[in-house]
Amino acid sequence: MIILGIETSCDETAVAILEIQNSNFKIRKNVVSSQVKIHAKYGGIVPELAARKHAENIIGILETALSFKPEIRDWKSKIENYVDAIAVTNGPGLITSLLVGVEAAKTLAFLAKKPLIPVNHLAGHIYANFIDQSQIFQNLFPAICLVVSGGHTELILMKDFENFKKIGQTLDDAAGECFDKVAKILGLGYPGGPAIAKCAQQSKFKKFQTNSKFSIKLPRPMIDSGDFNFSFSGLKTAVLYKIRELGNIKTQKFISEICAETQQAIIDVLIAKTIHASQKFNAKSIILGGGVVANEELRKQIKLKIKNLKIKLLIPPKILCTDNAAMIAAGGYFKLKKIPRSKWLIKFDWQKIKVDPNLEI
Amino acid sequence: MHLNFISKSEKETENIGNKFAKQLKGGEVIGLIGELGTGKTVLVRSLAKALGIKKSITSPSFVLLKLYKIKNSKIKNLVHVDAYRLKNEKDLIEIGILDWLNKKDTVVVIEWAEKVKKILPKKAIKVIIKFGKKENERIIKIKR
Repeated sequence: MIILGIETSCDETAVAILEIQNSNFKIRKNVVSSQVKIHAKYGGIVPELAARKHAENIIGILETALSFKPEIRDWKSKIENYVDAIAVTNGPGLITSLLVGVEAAKTLAFLAKKPLIPVNHLAGHIYANFIDQSQIFQNLFPAICLVVSGGHTELILMKDFENFKKIGQTLDDAAGECFDKVAKILGLGYPGGPAIAKCAQQSKFKKFQTNSKFSIKLPRPMIDSGDFNFSFSGLKTAVLYKIRELGNIKTQKFISEICAETQQAIIDVLIAKTIHASQKFNAKSIILGGGVVANEELRKQIKLKIKNLKIKLLIPPKILCTDNAAMIAAGGYFKLKKIPRSKWLIKFDWQKIKVDPNLEI
Repeated sequence: MHLNFISKSEKETENIGNKFAKQLKGGEVIGLIGELGTGKTVLVRSLAKALGIKKSITSPSFVLLKLYKIKNSKIKNLVHVDAYRLKNEKDLIEIGILDWLNKKDTVVVIEWAEKVKKILPKKAIKVIIKFGKKENERIIKIKR
C-alpha cells in the first residue's frame, strides 16, 4: 500500500510517500521545504511563517515527492495508479498554513478519486515512531507519550494505536519555545534548541568547578507538582535574572554554562514527569515525539533513566522528530487499516475534511 | 487615562491583571508591550482567569491567535494574540484578526503589540511593562 502524506501545520511544507508492506513501513520520499532549495527553483525565499509561501512551495514539494515512476509524467494518473490514499494534517496549527495543505490534498483526492484521511499533527509525532522498522511493536500499550516541540508539550496516555487521552500539558510556553526564547536572550539565533545544545556541549568539556562564580542553578518548574502539567515561561525569566545577578557577563564560558543548565532544567522536568506518568498508568512503554526529541542529551538521559525500569522506550530517528509528512502518512495508515478497502472512499470522503487550528488529540 | 503600578512580585502582577479585567466591558483591544520575561504571560493569564476562563492560557506564539469562549458573561470571547514571531501585521490580517477587533462582546489581547502597530485601533489600551530596579520588580503603565 502507498500513502501520500501532506503536512503544512507550521513552518515546514512537507510531502511524503510511504509504502507499507506486511505492516512494514518504507519511506519512498520524504520532502521537507527546508531541505530542498525550492526557493532557488521558484525564485523566492522560504520564510518561516506566511501561508502564502506554503502555497508557493507546495507544488514544487509535491513534484519532488511524486518523482517516483518518472516515466509517468502526469500526477493524476500517477496517483490514480500507484497511491492508495492521501493523508493530511488537519490541525492543530496555524490556520492559514493548514489550509494550504488541506486544499492541496482535497484537490488531489478529488482528481484521482482517492480516500483523504485527516491526521492530528500531535498523533503524527507519535506515529513517527512506528516508521522505524527496527523497533518492535508488541506489548506497547498502555503507553505514555511525550510530544514536545516548539508549539507543544503534552503527555498523552495511549491505549492502542488509535486511542489517545491527554493527561497533561504546558500551562504556558512549550519546551521548544523556552529554548527559543533563552537563545534569543543570549543572542544565539533561531531555532534555539540546536543552538543551545551546541553551546551546552562546550560547557561539558571545560568542567566547571561547583563553587566557581559561573556555577549556575536554575529552577525545575513544577517538577514536584504531582500532576502532569508543565510550565516553562518562568524558566527564561530565571535565566534573565541570572544574567542580571552575575552582572551581564556574557563570556563564552558563562553562555555555555547557562545553556547547559537551561537544557538540563528542561530535560529534568520532561523526564521526571514522563516517568512519573508511566508509573501511575502502569505503562508498558514510553513513546517520544516532536522536534525537541532531536535533542541528543534528552535522548541519552531518558535511556539511562529508564534502564532499570521494565519499560520499553521508543524514540524516532532525529529526522522524523521535526515536522515531516511521513509521520502523517503513517497516521493515515493506522486509520485506514481498520476499515475494509471497499469502504475507504465513503469513510474518508475528501468533502468531509474539517480544519481545526486548535484540534485536540 | 494613565495608570502606573509597581509590581513587586508575580503575585502582584496577577492582582493587577485581575483588577484590570474587572474594568473591561467588551470591545477593548489591549496591546502588551514589554521585553521577554517582564510578565506578559502572567498578566494575560490572570486577566483570562478573572474573565471566567478555566482553560490554561498557553502561548499562541506558533498559532498566532487563540480564541477562548466565555460562558455566562457579557464578554463572550477572549482573543489572545502573540506577535512575537511577526515582522508586521500582514500575517495577522491573513488569519482574520480584523474580524475580532472592536467587536462588542470580545476582548483582544495582543502581546508584542509594538510589532503590529498599524492594526491597533486608536482607542487601544496600551500596557507597557518594564523591569524595575529589583529582580522581581516591574513597572506597569496602562494608557488608554
